[in-house]
Amino acid sequence: KTTGLQVSSGLQDLCLKDRGGRRRDFHDLGVNTRQAMVHVQESKTGFSGKVIKLSTNHFRLTSRPQWALYQYHVGYSPEMEARRLRSALLFQHEEHIGRTHAFDGSILFLPKKLESKVTELFSRTQNGEDVKITVTLTNELPPTSPTCLQFYNIIFRRLLKMLNLQQIGRNYYNPSDPVSIPNHRLMVWLGFTSSILQYEENIMLCADVSHKVLRGETVLDTMHSIHSQVGEERFRDTCAKELIGLIVLTKYNNRTYRIDDIDWDNNPKGTFRKSDGSEMSFVEYYKKQYNIEISDWMQPVLISQIKRRRGNIEGSVALIPELCSLTGLTDKMRSDFNMMKDLAIHTRLPPEQRQRELGRLLNYIQKDDNVQKELRNWGLSFDYKSVSFTGRVVQGEKIFQSGTMFDYNPQFADWTKETRGVPLIRAVPVDSWLLIYTRRNYDVASTLLQSLFKVTPSMGIRMNKPHMIEVDDRTEAYLRVLQQKVTPDTNIVVCILSSSRKDKYDAIKKYLCTDCPIPSQCVLARTLSKPQTIMAVATKIALQMNCKMGGELWSVEIPLKQVMIVGIDCYHDTVSGRQSIAGFVASMNQTVTRWFSRCVVQSRGQELVDGIKACLQTALRNWSKWNKCLPSRIFVYRDGVGDGQLNTLVNYEVPQFLDCLKSIGTDYSPRLTVIVVKKRVGARFFAEIGGGLKNPPPGTVVDTVVTRPEWYDFFIVSQTVKNGCVAPTHYNVIYDTSQLKPDHLQRLTYKLCHMYYNWSGIIRVPAPCQYAHKLAFLVGQSIHREPNLMLSDRLYYL
Amino acid sequence: MDENFQEEFTQIIKFEPPLYKQRYQFVKDLVEKYKPKKVADLGCADCSLLRMLKFCSCIEVLAGLDICANVMKEKMHTLSPLPVDYLQPSERSLTVSLHHGSVAHKDPCMLGFDLVTCIELIEHLEESELKKFPEVVFGFMAPSIIVISTPNSEFNPLLPRLMLYRHPDHKFEWSQAQFQSWALETARCYDYSVEFTGVGHPPTGMEKVGFCTQIGVFVRKYPQTGESVQSEKPTEAVYKTVFKAVYPSLKDEKYLQNAVISEVIFTAQIIKHRLMSKREEYGDDPERKSKFQPSMDYFSDYFGKLVVEKNMEPFVSGNEVYIPLATVFSFPKVNRLCGTFENLCKLIAGKVTLNSDGSAVMFNIEHENEEN
Repeated sequence: KTTGLQVSSGLQDLCLKDRGGRRRDFHDLGVNTRQAMVHVQESKTGFSGKVIKLSTNHFRLTSRPQWALYQYHVGYSPEMEARRLRSALLFQHEEHIGRTHAFDGSILFLPKKLESKVTELFSRTQNGEDVKITVTLTNELPPTSPTCLQFYNIIFRRLLKMLNLQQIGRNYYNPSDPVSIPNHRLMVWLGFTSSILQYEENIMLCADVSHKVLRGETVLDTMHSIHSQVGEERFRDTCAKELIGLIVLTKYNNRTYRIDDIDWDNNPKGTFRKSDGSEMSFVEYYKKQYNIEISDWMQPVLISQIKRRRGNIEGSVALIPELCSLTGLTDKMRSDFNMMKDLAIHTRLPPEQRQRELGRLLNYIQKDDNVQKELRNWGLSFDYKSVSFTGRVVQGEKIFQSGTMFDYNPQFADWTKETRGVPLIRAVPVDSWLLIYTRRNYDVASTLLQSLFKVTPSMGIRMNKPHMIEVDDRTEAYLRVLQQKVTPDTNIVVCILSSSRKDKYDAIKKYLCTDCPIPSQCVLARTLSKPQTIMAVATKIALQMNCKMGGELWSVEIPLKQVMIVGIDCYHDTVSGRQSIAGFVASMNQTVTRWFSRCVVQSRGQELVDGIKACLQTALRNWSKWNKCLPSRIFVYRDGVGDGQLNTLVNYEVPQFLDCLKSIGTDYSPRLTVIVVKKRVGARFFAEIGGGLKNPPPGTVVDTVVTRPEWYDFFIVSQTVKNGCVAPTHYNVIYDTSQLKPDHLQRLTYKLCHMYYNWSGIIRVPAPCQYAHKLAFLVGQSIHREPNLMLSDRLYYL
Repeated sequence: MDENFQEEFTQIIKFEPPLYKQRYQFVKDLVEKYKPKKVADLGCADCSLLRMLKFCSCIEVLAGLDICANVMKEKMHTLSPLPVDYLQPSERSLTVSLHHGSVAHKDPCMLGFDLVTCIELIEHLEESELKKFPEVVFGFMAPSIIVISTPNSEFNPLLPRLMLYRHPDHKFEWSQAQFQSWALETARCYDYSVEFTGVGHPPTGMEKVGFCTQIGVFVRKYPQTGESVQSEKPTEAVYKTVFKAVYPSLKDEKYLQNAVISEVIFTAQIIKHRLMSKREEYGDDPERKSKFQPSMDYFSDYFGKLVVEKNMEPFVSGNEVYIPLATVFSFPKVNRLCGTFENLCKLIAGKVTLNSDGSAVMFNIEHENEEN
């Protein structure tokens, strides 16, 4: 679309490396969606709410007046092949082109304009060959052009490198001052993420503190401890589960690789083909190349897929476990409460501390002579004080539950206390149900039962005595009981599990979601073992069971009529077969309390959107069944969109949605709004309260200064956090025929963050996104195929 | 400017591996043979030889010198420690530094080296510089071994497209006789012995033209007594240091202490874990019992020995688990890191929670079972 969008591939080599992957436009530059939406041409800002003073982690980039970047094409006659030779020949003329330059072999960027449009230079190679070099001005890039922005990012990364920060993945980290957590053999490096972009009025650097968790052990060490934990039998399986997908660093180069497979039939004595065609064993290679002696010759070999950037050639690299160090956390580690607690002390920085760490980075930049020189040469500089502006805190919503109305304390964004003991909007009676437990959990089961009987009456739930079944603590035993005892009348099955071992849970869920579609509730015995919390736990379980059977808990006021709200999220299964799963949920009633849920399971390479289209069609059919008409407004909240995928979404997915609507009927043309929801954003906001920096309160909306001029976008801080910094959620409206004012769309979005029934409080994303996420996650993690459609009118996956 | 590349390109005679790699391999073999601790590369250009040498485990000090700071700076970051070097600090210490300066000037930072390499350097020197070169390298730096490589002009006719020299910056290219007479004279003057060799074999039948790259290996005849010679050396620094990286090493107390603490806690955790799961076997979970009993544990060897000494057994008392330090010390990794038991105690003092008499690592398990 935009010319000069992509800096030629060579330049990206400088440092914009997307490790082991494709080159992507991470910042979705050049996707201009706002221009097509007339109603937000003038203004995309809302107005309601209280004004709040905010500061952020954005810093203005300033350049000399009339600054421009000059792009030249460099040609050689006779043609010179090798890039190194081309550079060498060109830079024999540094007196002409100056010492500040970026050159990738054919495109040259200079901070100043050469005297003439075409400059001819003459060099001589060492074999006395005369070469004519023609340097032609091809582009004069204004500071805001996409190429220029990419260029700034490259320069900034150069600066970080100059500050001796280490690149790991996409970010830079400081290796000299690590925090070590010996209890878990972890090390945390402090680093920074950075991106320079054109924001509403200025080009700004968005910098954030980033933590890299590194592990003081090699993959081989990890394999040893897995072996000692699970034994021979489950060893390979467990290794695959825990290791595949992790990123490793090697002992000998500064690259990161993703473990894609483990080759158990190979070992370091195995050979590989070198680029010159000769065969060599790994042992020999590492000895010769890096003087590294591999001590364990029996270890398997790790496989990492590499997509070469030139020509998109796929290939794989073999890695030796002993020479690889793990980075990041495994899912198992993430579920280790103690570990996460120990980590959080170091990684969850409260606002003030976060800004202080950032200040330190800017201070290094400011103090380092070389860095300053580089910046000066390019005619660039930074505002070392972050930008401040105002946001708005919209008012809290009223929570309705069976004719009663509640206000919640906006500070906590939670109404657990307020709604306790109040009947639910729709309480589904539990007439026939199973409670399955092992012998040792009999007491726990009885406690749960008693507590459920205590808490359910006030909710309005009628509950009969369950069919109590004792089983052996084996997966097959659970399944046999389910096969024998579940009848068509069964409302729900509750299983008490004695360990968090996934296989049992997976088997139960798989059976009850596909073969025998009945809602199910699994509870860990440990969760029920503490007397002081049992009532709270039982309350949660009762609510969850009710939702799974099709019940409704509370609602907020939705002023729009005939509206269907859709949430979509994706889950990419890395372990089994690399399938992708899209969760799709759509509201079915006026109060947005009933949902239709489906998911799409797609193997690698297929487009998810085809399946999503089918889901949308069924959802519309169901909606009309419920409401006796079709919705006149559809809002799609699309989560799970990666960096750089916006273009595909705008040009492919949205047209598919429109197509789908068209196919419903010629006279049917509802108003459609598609909003891309992004949780992982670099922006952080801090409320300036009482001279200090605090997390902004829930309901804070930001739609100026740090938004993008070419988009109809805004941020909402909807949740609260106990420690650390709250992360705002970014909403990008990529298609909108609703004619709704930005303020109303913002309010609607915020309202929807109140509607997630697994949490009686405000969450980070609109409820449909979270439902879609939950569904996709369950299917991706446990079920691996589409659940039975009989369940699609209930939140069975909560 | 890139010589390595040029030479490769202009040759009809293809060397396999490329000639520059053969030169580097030659140096590497020399390092393997003599095991020098301090190595300097004069005319290090883009540091590719240094990058290769940093993996040689005998080297503790690595220095590069070049007249052009820009070419050094271009890739100097590749000489920085890797993330893994911080994660698993090595036993050896290693310092890499790059200096900007001329081989015609003396700077004290070049003193005390065991090996000095001058790969394809001398032919770039102006006459005046070449004149000072022996005094600076052989007389002042005076390492035990010096390697000098330079093109052999007798080979040039075999490189057809060549006009005069192999690189426009070459000030001269010597025949074998020219190089050898210069080398012998220099060796004689500074009490070195010299042996000639080279890389890049001539084609069969033309052996008399000699190697494409000729190499002289100079070995100092008498071990330097140091003191007397050192005293007359100037101390004024004229080189500018453009890069310096100190690799994390266990020789550095800071890294050693971190490594020991981490290993001690980790080891103690493993012992605790085993102890606790053993205790759980007495519980009523049949699955667990069968799973844990035959565990083919790679620590089991050490456990076999442990039971022998009574005072080394870990035990539980109330909410605390005690893992005797002696037990921890018996693990080979801890043992190797600390050397002595006293050293272990010293290194972890105040950093690891111990019991009152400091003989055991102590863990509180009160809250553990709640969340796990």
